[in-house]
Amino acid sequence: MFNLRRFDRSTSVFIGLLVISFLLATFDVRSQGTGASAGLREGTQALFGPLQRAAGFVLTPVVGLVDGISDLAGLREENELLKAQVRELERELADTATLRNQVAELEAINGLEPPEDLNAITARVVAASPSEFDFTRIIDIGTEDGVLRGMPVIDENGLVGRIIFVSDSFSQVRLVTDPSLTVGVRVKETNETGTVTGQGSGPLRVEMYGAKEPIEEGFRLVTAGSRFPPGIDVAVVTEASRSEASFTLTTRADPVIVVSKLDFVKVIVDWDPLELPEDIPEETDPGEAPPAVSEEEL
Amino acid sequence: MSGRNTLIALGLVVVAAVLQSTILADSRLQAFGSAPSLVVLVVIASVRYMEPEPAVLLGFTGGLLMDLLGGQPIGMWALVLTVVAYITLRLRDAADDGPIVIAAGVLGITLLAGALWVVLGTILGLKPLADPSAIRRIILPAMYNVVVAAAVLPGVTWLMRPRSPIRRGWAT
Repeated sequence: MFNLRRFDRSTSVFIGLLVISFLLATFDVRSQGTGASAGLREGTQALFGPLQRAAGFVLTPVVGLVDGISDLAGLREENELLKAQVRELERELADTATLRNQVAELEAINGLEPPEDLNAITARVVAASPSEFDFTRIIDIGTEDGVLRGMPVIDENGLVGRIIFVSDSFSQVRLVTDPSLTVGVRVKETNETGTVTGQGSGPLRVEMYGAKEPIEEGFRLVTAGSRFPPGIDVAVVTEASRSEASFTLTTRADPVIVVSKLDFVKVIVDWDPLELPEDIPEETDPGEAPPAVSEEEL
Repeated sequence: MSGRNTLIALGLVVVAAVLQSTILADSRLQAFGSAPSLVVLVVIASVRYMEPEPAVLLGFTGGLLMDLLGGQPIGMWALVLTVVAYITLRLRDAADDGPIVIAAGVLGITLLAGALWVVLGTILGLKPLADPSAIRRIILPAMYNVVVAAAVLPGVTWLMRPRSPIRRGWAT
């Protein structure tokens, strides 16, 4: 079955690369994405950012076409006679429909006022992470536009996430749905504070510490301040809950953003997060220990 | 000849990574919220026609590229794709080239890649299992890869086999 002798050298290379990979990952986790790894990412993003933007530009009509055709599947089944005509029309209109949606979204986001009159820069989402398990997006502005690591990102619905990496012309945003990002929130209706943590494609996990009042379905959660400007919509509670004997209240909430429809976003460029004590990690990025209660912006 | 195939494989991995992060990341093209793991598939397909050491290095390089384009710690996908390349290398002679065996291999190796990523992510504190659809994110891309393999594997064969000294073929 296996010829071990034949793969002796490759096995050595394999083991060596495994060790290197694990050391790299450990190093990157410890450095929290700064240092040499940030330089590597910057170089890669500088190289691939334009490629990704070009690929997105070229392939968007294809996506629109496929999307349009799939939307018409039911109609085709009902009326075979109209199938060819509709498909042809859809092919022609796919680009227009996509453009119209983008214009509407751009108009909406340009009408959005960032909280507390903070300056914000509009950006476009040009790519996502190639990994199925990674909830990040690449946007087409970077340090040349004044973007810095840690800046909040919003869209017309509310909080999108935060900048975790910046190159000259591109930035990477960790979405609020990412399991490694925790955001401090305040319940708009009761003014109590807690945190929300992403759960990938699932609803956000809400934790309130020592909450005195129950939380009801439909309550709105907004940023509490510190790491993000206060008052930005984050999520809407989907399950009522109350804390028993002052223990932690835990419930779920749907993010206000629609991750699958992120196209244009705004980066709040002049928000200065409060300084945190030195013994508290700067942010809850991948690989850090699970966030403590005090780690985020309560 | 081996160098030529290595260059072709690297080019394919780059193209796959760009497609994965753009068109395949578009939710309008995703069925049930997932897409094929194109980079994984290209590594599986390419390793078939490469010498052992470059093949393992290809997996590492492809994974490193995915790490650098994504937001996870650098080294995670590098480790996963190194394992993918090595396992493909070890199995390529054992497997008959029948389509069912190949499909099973693609399915199994892609499943393993997803599962390994989740295990690594858990070890490194990324909490991938906090996502209720984590299992779906492992299974669906593997199933899609089997479908997409019908086009990718013969394509890679066509690109890499003619001048390769190694007589193996996904398409034969």
